[in-house]
Amino acid sequence: MYKHPPGLRGFLVAIGLLGAAILAAFSIGLFAYWALERLATSASNPEGVPNYTLLITSALALIPILILLARRYAYLTDWYYLLPAMLFLLAFTVYPIVLTVYLAFTNYSGLHNGKPDRASETRVVRLAGRTLVLDGPAETSLRCRNPSCSEELVELVGEGRRVYDRIERAEENRLVLARAPDFEPRYVYRVNTFSYVGLKNFVFIFANASRALIPVFLWNVVFAFASVLSTALLGLILGIVLNNRRLPLRNTYRTLLVISWALPGVITIQMWVALLNKQFGAINRLLGLLGVYPIPWLLDPLWAKVSVLLVNLWLGFPYMMTATLGALSTIPDELYEAARVDGASSWQSFRRITLPLLRAPFIPILLSSFAYNFNNFNIIYLLTGGGPSSEGRLSTAQATDILISWAYKTAFRAEGQSAYGLGAAISLVIFAITVGISLVNFKFTGALKEERK
Amino acid sequence: MRRVVFGALVAAIYVVVRQVVFGLGSSNAWLVLAYESGDAGLALTLLAGVLFLGLIAARFGSSWRDVLAVVAGLEAGTYLLAIGQALGQAVRPRPAFGSVFIPGGWRYVLVGYLAIALLLLVYSAVYIGVKNRLTRRKQSVWTFFGYALIHLFLVSLVMLVFYPVIQVVAASFDPTNNLFSFRRVNSPFLLVRAKVLPDFSRISLENYQRLVEGVVIYGYQWALLAAAALALLLALWSGYKLRRLGPVEPWATLQGRALSVFALLAFLLVVLVSPSQFGGRSTESKFLLWVRNTLLLSSATGFLAVALTATAGYAFARFRFPGRYPLLLTFIFVQMFPGFLALIAIYYLLSALDLLNTFTGLLLAYSGGIISFGSWVYKGYIESLGHSLEEAAYIDGASRWQAFLRIILPLSAPIFVFIFLLQFVGTYSEFILANLVLTGVEKWTVGIGLYSFTTGQFSTKWGVFAAASVLGSLPILMVFYGFQQYFVSGYTAGAVKE
Repeated sequence: MYKHPPGLRGFLVAIGLLGAAILAAFSIGLFAYWALERLATSASNPEGVPNYTLLITSALALIPILILLARRYAYLTDWYYLLPAMLFLLAFTVYPIVLTVYLAFTNYSGLHNGKPDRASETRVVRLAGRTLVLDGPAETSLRCRNPSCSEELVELVGEGRRVYDRIERAEENRLVLARAPDFEPRYVYRVNTFSYVGLKNFVFIFANASRALIPVFLWNVVFAFASVLSTALLGLILGIVLNNRRLPLRNTYRTLLVISWALPGVITIQMWVALLNKQFGAINRLLGLLGVYPIPWLLDPLWAKVSVLLVNLWLGFPYMMTATLGALSTIPDELYEAARVDGASSWQSFRRITLPLLRAPFIPILLSSFAYNFNNFNIIYLLTGGGPSSEGRLSTAQATDILISWAYKTAFRAEGQSAYGLGAAISLVIFAITVGISLVNFKFTGALKEERK
Repeated sequence: MRRVVFGALVAAIYVVVRQVVFGLGSSNAWLVLAYESGDAGLALTLLAGVLFLGLIAARFGSSWRDVLAVVAGLEAGTYLLAIGQALGQAVRPRPAFGSVFIPGGWRYVLVGYLAIALLLLVYSAVYIGVKNRLTRRKQSVWTFFGYALIHLFLVSLVMLVFYPVIQVVAASFDPTNNLFSFRRVNSPFLLVRAKVLPDFSRISLENYQRLVEGVVIYGYQWALLAAAALALLLALWSGYKLRRLGPVEPWATLQGRALSVFALLAFLLVVLVSPSQFGGRSTESKFLLWVRNTLLLSSATGFLAVALTATAGYAFARFRFPGRYPLLLTFIFVQMFPGFLALIAIYYLLSALDLLNTFTGLLLAYSGGIISFGSWVYKGYIESLGHSLEEAAYIDGASRWQAFLRIILPLSAPIFVFIFLLQFVGTYSEFILANLVLTGVEKWTVGIGLYSFTTGQFSTKWGVFAAASVLGSLPILMVFYGFQQYFVSGYTAGAVKE
């Protein structure tokens, strides 16, 4: 068998070799993609090959490189077991995280999306060296943002080619480009570039803290905390009741009560929107029989919060009940027998045996449930959409919005004006909080300590 | 007793101080409430309630902590009451249109419950009395009565939990198809008149028909469907036999085989169905296509999760190479960044790769979130397997890869099923990424499709929505109840071990 080079050096060598292999494969893949693109692009097919071809060519290039590497460094094959997972993590988790960090410092948005603005399409009359003659005044028809279009990025299209170029200046209907195109362009588009804006997004978040961050954060904490508490309480009671082996039908009750866990949440949450309708909802119909006037479940800012918590209780208690039953099944019966022999009442053995032994398995469940609910986007977005509106708030951060739905609405909804950069900045704030919660979780559970062998 | 007096004293001082410092109006909400109502009984009840909360908070601890606890309890009580007051003010005293409103109806329910409890008490007394007489034993009436009350509680809870489900199922058979319907129901039963219980006189399949309007299913697909149904029946039958006879041989193998055949056929069916078969003009006629899309995505995500985590989990569990621990840490910490927080970046990445509105793109977007958890769970599972089998294989000259392939993989079926099912169910319910990536109506998943019904269209599509909810829930319901032991054991094992 083979031996790994020891210690930190061995780790760095292995990572370095793998990194070099991935980089080499990526370069070869890029080259192959570029070649394919050149081959496939024609007047009839101006788009060329789709961009994801790059992923395929890189993956194909990686395989022979890895085989060659394994011949020279046999111990590297251990790492190959981890490589698929590592590659996917790198491409679709680590890279997006890095990208999020980068975007948080830019003004990337619907207006600055890095793409050619199709509304700025302008016909090119003729080309003379570096100068384009357009069929209209350049500054207005290209909708330039800078005076005389200087430094704006444009896309030139013609003869089945698309090329980006930079404008030096514009005079009437003439454009002077930084670089002369090697073909005859027919149309020109201005590109909506986005740029580095420093801490502007974070300044916006904290400058408007009283209109969004603080109330949203407070409600987020209250929501997660109350959700965990209510589901855990009901789940604990039911779990303890159903754990009693002398209770007839206990398995039937258990099977029936997990129904709200068994149904897909994305469907049941939307079902609740109709059930909680003020005038026609099934819940208010039932309450009407009890002499309760129709409750504005989803229309009143405060009642909407109650609705979210109630629906989350309905959704979440079966998990807690099952967890309680699982934890209770690990308590050995001998303990109870010994207690009975010593003359303890059932209440005493519950107080002194069941509750203390439930604590250890329950703390990680509670913490992970808190972390889950802290970012529970589905229930907020599908039940209330963050609404109803609250006075003096940003339009993206309404009465029941939590941080994650605030970020989503900022980035992807009309009222947020597709401010991706700002949304990314909010995401980073959430990430910091989530990591904090998880660290507390690990500290409590000690899950990492035993790994450090 | 001393403690109670002490607590009451602290509470009284606190109330007075708070009144003096903050003044009447904004501070002690319960006092304001009582004062405004002018009801001495209510004022006393509220006072007692708030004091009770304070005293409960002071149940543990000693002197100065008691003071703090009483104050904290009073504060909490004050805020809770203020919230309750605001909630009450938001309700206008006007019954809903077209609803049955019974003033003070809760009193009847309360009396009803008391009557049932009394009846149960009489029943337990008689039953235990007769039983004790016959068996010459001394069983307590109260224990039996306690069980009866627990059943009463559980049955009520089950009814409450099922109430929304039953309402939606009933709506799916209601042809009016309008949430905002004023139609009155003529029935001798109050509960049916109040539309709390479904009205069985008007059952129609119209909503379901609208979901399948214009759908063309080819002959071979019907054959596949029939074969799959047969395999499922066989699996259910053998499952029933297994439950009755215990784990005996022909049935255990049969169940496994039948399930695999069913899974294979179902997967084939899902892959072979194409969007062109759904030619209906309305949006809802694409519903079955959405189900198919969702099933395709969910199973693909499940497979990807198993494929990616199998080797990684094995390496983490068995290999000891430099850098294993930091890598494990990286895996865990990277997972803390929930995939959808990077939504913006994933959207940017997918649009750069021309993968928007494709299943591949969405699958790749999901892949980030599934690796860490799966590897972690699988690693724990392998560690519980023990080394002896692999060592025997090494002595016989097997390589690491062979040992993994021939020994570990076959033993890992249960945990793979768990990882697969978890991803399957999770992806089925995923909304945020799917909503972002899949924009074309032919690529939608069930969740997005249903969302399109809810956005302001309950007036015309409520029944269709209900029917789609029922049909769309069935696959997950079947998976969940069919594999319940996997979910329960997988979750709880993880919970207890962590």
